[in-house]
Order: sequence, then C-alpha cells, then structure tokens
Amino acid sequence: MPHIPTKYFGSLEYRDEDVVQFPCGLPAFEEERQFLLIEPADRAPLQFLQSVRQPGLCFLALPILVVDQAYRLTMTLEDLVSLDLDTTRQPLIGSDIECLAMLVALENKAPSVNLLAPIVINRRNRRGIQAIRVDSAYSHAHSLAGPEAVCS
Amino acid sequence: MLVIRRRAGETFLIGPDIQVELLEVGATQVKLGITAPRNISILRKEVHVTRMQNEAASREISTLELASLARRFQK
Repeated sequence: MPHIPTKYFGSLEYRDEDVVQFPCGLPAFEEERQFLLIEPADRAPLQFLQSVRQPGLCFLALPILVVDQAYRLTMTLEDLVSLDLDTTRQPLIGSDIECLAMLVALENKAPSVNLLAPIVINRRNRRGIQAIRVDSAYSHAHSLAGPEAVCS
Repeated sequence: MLVIRRRAGETFLIGPDIQVELLEVGATQVKLGITAPRNISILRKEVHVTRMQNEAASREISTLELASLARRFQK
C-alpha cells in the first residue's frame, strides 16, 4: 500500500479508495485536489483532511451533526452536479454524503467552525467539495466557546 | 451604509473605474453586471470569508491543543 508523509501522524499507509478527490480544490487552496480523510480513534470525533500533495497541509474538521444536530444542508444545483448527486433533492447526511465543518483553532481564541461552507463528500464516488451556501442561515465562524461546546 | 435606489438598466460607479449595472430584478434575486479593472478582485462575500477561514484553518495546531480539542467533544 502507498504511504504519504502527514502533518500530524508521521508516515501513513493508505488505500487509494480512501483518497477524496476535490475537483475544484478548496477556496484559497484551489491546487489541492486530493485529500486523505483521517479519523484517529483517540482524537474522535475530530477528523483530519490531509493533503496528499503537501505534507504540511492538514485541516481539522468535525462532523457537522456533532456541532449542530439539526443542521440543514442546502447545496446549490451546481455543487450537486459537481459531486454527481441527485439534483432533485438535498442529499442525506450519513447515507448519501459525509458532511464536515472546517475547524479554526487559533491560539488564545475560542475555536470556531465554518457552518456557511461545509465540506461535502459523496460516499459513493469519494468526490468532495466545499459547498458554500448562498443563504445566510449559518455563520462562517460559529464559535465553539461556552457550555454548549461540551457535547452531552 | 450608503443606500441608493436603482431600476433595471441603471448604473452606478464606485470610484472612477468601477461600474455596476443593475441588469435584471427578479422576485428574490437581482442580476448585476460589473465592469472593473483587471487588478480588482471581485468575489461573492461567502467565498471571500471561506477563503479567509480556510487560510486560518491551515495553520499548525500543537499536539496539546489537538488533545484538548478532541476532549471538548468526548463524553
């Protein structure tokens, strides 16, 4: 099996089918088209999006339902098409897609997640996109500070 | 905030070089045409804030911080 150097986990063995293809990259990282989704048991529920091309680039994310159990995904038609998803309805989190919120954790600041632009991965073809909402229902910097951050 | 009223087909300027034309007004959407110099970047706001968040999210996180983040969500 192939190996890649990673930012937080040293050299990691992976299967080709675990690689998620982002045909458009991510905003500000448009050249990064392949990421490995790493879910270490001892860091659960944190997930890591490790760039295959750049060992030094690894994002942290949380399953969006861990952050907000009632999160309502609204993808644009364009984004549905780009992941080859059914365009007549919104995909179901869990069965059709994985949906993650990108985590920003800067020193001396409460961590926050981007609920405006969830990472959506089609489970069937492992294709992904950062699906930026066009409404203003959710914040791009949803704070995880305060007692509600401790998931009960 | 400056508020101006314009009808479809009308235009306004931002500085001498940036021209915004109101092309179409629908029930829930308006269509704008923007003419600006090449060096001016024009982004939907949600794309701009997501770019900024992604840049912040790409910064290094210490092992200690990682452990404490994971603990926040563990029962």
